Amino acid sequence: MSVDLLPTRTAALEQMQSLELPTKQDEAWRYAPHKPLGELAFGPTAALAALPSDVEDQIPDTPGPRVVIVNGVFDPTQSRLESLPDGLQVHSLADASDEAVADLLQRTYDAPEDGFSIINRAYGTGGALVLVEGQLDEAIHIVDVIVPERAQSASASRVLIEMAAASSATVIETRLGSRDLVGGCNVRTEISMAPDASLEHIVLQDLPSTQIHLGRVDVVQSAGSHFRARLFNLGADYGRVAYHVYLAGEGARADLSGLYFGFGQQTLDQQITVVHAAENCTSSQSYRGVLDDESTGVWNGGVDVRPGADGTDSVQSNDNLVLSRKAEVNTMPRLEILADEVSCQHGATVGELDEEALYYLRTRGVRQAEARQLLINGFADQVMDDLQDDVLRTWITERLGHDHA
Amino acid sequence: MLHVKNLTASIGDAKILKGLDLEVGAGEVHAIMGPNGSGKSTFAHALAGREGYEIGGTVALDGADLLEMEPEDRAAAGLFMGFQYPVEIPGVNNMYFLRTALNSVRRARGDDEISARDFLTVANEAMELVEMKQGFLNRSVNAGFSGGEKKRNEILQMAVMQPRLAVLDETDSGLDIDALRVVANGVNSLRGPERSMIVITHYQRLLEYIKPDVVHVLVDGRIVESGDHTLALHLEDHGYAGFTNHDLDDALLSGAPT
Repeated sequence: MSVDLLPTRTAALEQMQSLELPTKQDEAWRYAPHKPLGELAFGPTAALAALPSDVEDQIPDTPGPRVVIVNGVFDPTQSRLESLPDGLQVHSLADASDEAVADLLQRTYDAPEDGFSIINRAYGTGGALVLVEGQLDEAIHIVDVIVPERAQSASASRVLIEMAAASSATVIETRLGSRDLVGGCNVRTEISMAPDASLEHIVLQDLPSTQIHLGRVDVVQSAGSHFRARLFNLGADYGRVAYHVYLAGEGARADLSGLYFGFGQQTLDQQITVVHAAENCTSSQSYRGVLDDESTGVWNGGVDVRPGADGTDSVQSNDNLVLSRKAEVNTMPRLEILADEVSCQHGATVGELDEEALYYLRTRGVRQAEARQLLINGFADQVMDDLQDDVLRTWITERLGHDHA
Repeated sequence: MLHVKNLTASIGDAKILKGLDLEVGAGEVHAIMGPNGSGKSTFAHALAGREGYEIGGTVALDGADLLEMEPEDRAAAGLFMGFQYPVEIPGVNNMYFLRTALNSVRRARGDDEISARDFLTVANEAMELVEMKQGFLNRSVNAGFSGGEKKRNEILQMAVMQPRLAVLDETDSGLDIDALRVVANGVNSLRGPERSMIVITHYQRLLEYIKPDVVHVLVDGRIVESGDHTLALHLEDHGYAGFTNHDLDDALLSGAPT
């Protein structure tokens, strides 16, 4: 039992007394389903004896270290943390009792806290702490599973990743759920990168379509560090992932990319802000969306260039493929520039399936349904172009293929 | 092989093909020449099955009514169309596309899918035919290809698909002389007693490389004259001006070399 969590929790619980949840008036929460969000019941949950088999089958079968968190609670029986390589420590947050951890847990960020991040600090007692000092080959896989005990049950958990100077690693965070019950999870990831550290961070969100996913990733980068974020936002009724990346040291670099692929009545919401607070930093945001049926895609991508962040170089792009008349996409590139000698480009597109390409494929004998699928996958797969991890690549390809089979 | 009777095509009120008749026998190569706007490309797309036209008349390929079929079924029936402007498809691998196309047609004909190894052999032979390097198949379909590469990719597809009838729409446009030679060599080596071709072109230049059995002149949606390859030479010298009114007489052709 850790006493170190208490100060953070106490402060958060105090804030809970006067907690105000975001409303439609908050730009970053404009497309969120406020009523079901307000009805989510966060609170301590009992550990499950075993993972439901449908969840077990869904987990991408990566070979390396694995942390499993179920309903916000670290599950040692499902986790695989024996024989970790040199230069890597992984702890259950609830068991971590180091003085330093208390500081980590109370870290404050440039980006403001909101109602749900305060809830996360109040209830997110479980989770994982990943300390990377070496250069790791195998990806670290953190699986967060929500299995609502009753309607509206929601879990909160935290993932902390500390990258030491010149260390490098890949971390995959998979979010899955079970049961046709309304429910949700609120997962906060906090990443700190020392000088010249390098991290590839992949979020794979595939909750059942009855549930809500609230993800928030805060990143603080020192000089010369390189953060690569890749998001596959696929599941949930409301699937939200917000990134706040703070480039604090000179020459830091952040490359964020992602794919959201909506069906039915899903809303998939990506809220991204990259703050350039030091000189000569580079950032890119490259997101693609495919929206079918009555789904909604939201991409709100901002670049904030602070005074003194001269030599900033940033690129943003958001391309969308809308497959149905009832689907919609809301794309909002934002730029705020308060420095000199800055290069900031942004572009957004919303298009339909290329009829000419469809015709071309059909003249080659490819049946219409298959031709459509080929074009959709061709558009979406470009997000995976430089994805090294074959297990994930196969998982995603099959996942996207299955839905259209 | 191919019988086209009184083919009409219009978009809205605009009539583009106004009763086109054409007979192409097995193993024959026919050239269709005509000025801009005469309906050459529309004819090709009417055969291939592009949506958006109102079509009349009949087109029979080996006895089957093409006009009743979806574009993919026409491909399965043995039709291949080489596009004037091949479409760029970013993200779709050229090799995967070729294999999907070939297998789609094989499935539609009730044949087994081709094995990966056999496909590789077929693809490599086709690549050699159009003098393409290995990396060509690993790129996205036509994406970022030069004009010449796109046209070579069309002939590559034709070599893999082995159609009964190939319709090549302005395959020579945008090609330099080397690319033209490669494309023409590819086409010539695919000629055979069981394969017919319709070569649509604006210029006579291509026909120096691909010798047609019959040359047709298409003007204002109709074939107004047919002859042997010397007709192409006549057009080279005199242009289409003499054909733009429909009451063509023999005197007009008196200057044509024989």
